[in-house]
Amino acid sequence: MTSADLHAAYAGHKDVLYRFARRMTGSAVVAEDLVHDCFLMVWRDAVVYSPNRGTMRSFLIGVIRNLALKQLRRERPFLELEEDSGVCEPIDPAGKERGELVAQAVAGLPPLQREAILLAEYEELSLEEIASATGSELAAVKSRLHRARENLRCRLAPLLEMKGQV
Amino acid sequence: MEPSDDQKLSKLLKEWQVPGAPPSLDRRVMAWRERWWKILLTGSIRVPVPLGAALAVILLLMSVALVRKPAPSRADSTVNLVDFRPVDDPQVRIIRGQL
Repeated sequence: MTSADLHAAYAGHKDVLYRFARRMTGSAVVAEDLVHDCFLMVWRDAVVYSPNRGTMRSFLIGVIRNLALKQLRRERPFLELEEDSGVCEPIDPAGKERGELVAQAVAGLPPLQREAILLAEYEELSLEEIASATGSELAAVKSRLHRARENLRCRLAPLLEMKGQV
Repeated sequence: MEPSDDQKLSKLLKEWQVPGAPPSLDRRVMAWRERWWKILLTGSIRVPVPLGAALAVILLLMSVALVRKPAPSRADSTVNLVDFRPVDDPQVRIIRGQL
């Protein structure tokens, strides 16, 4: 990758990657480090983009997703990436901003469900793009998204009900 | 589940806003991209403690070995015979001692 290619990729995708990493890890500092490491890997050809395997955006999201999962494993070595069990424990909305409550609910999802919902809802990737970025089967992505939405609906029930009343 | 449930959830999820990449990230990425050669002057590398300690000991031993002057050995000493003059008429006097 040339310097100009790298500059274009960085300018075009840094915000998507940073937002995803920040939502995935819950830390601005870690997110910055991950995006930095992601582009350093690309620059040093530690990972090589091939247009046959999808868009540049999917490729870079795939790289940062792997870095984020590695970081999560480092922080919590026994963390289950994909849990079948539900995480339906409604959050307590007292004294918190709505955005903060949503962040708390999303952070409570198992990592693979979390990444699927982040990519679908916030970055508006198609199912195919999510499958490409995460190296997963389309059916697995659909299943994770379905379970993530169910879990979030349950956890955010107090807010959804309040919203319905307004 | 109603069809609008997903829309309601999506709308609620969007209330969690996160800013884009901070300027500090730009500075970090641009720094190594444009001035990568400066790592030769200002870069740093991580060295595991055991390896670092071993290197320090080796360097210390080498410097001690270099600083210490080697002890003169008889085998290595040379004799210069340039000014040597044999005695012309040696008058050897034999002294007999009494035992």
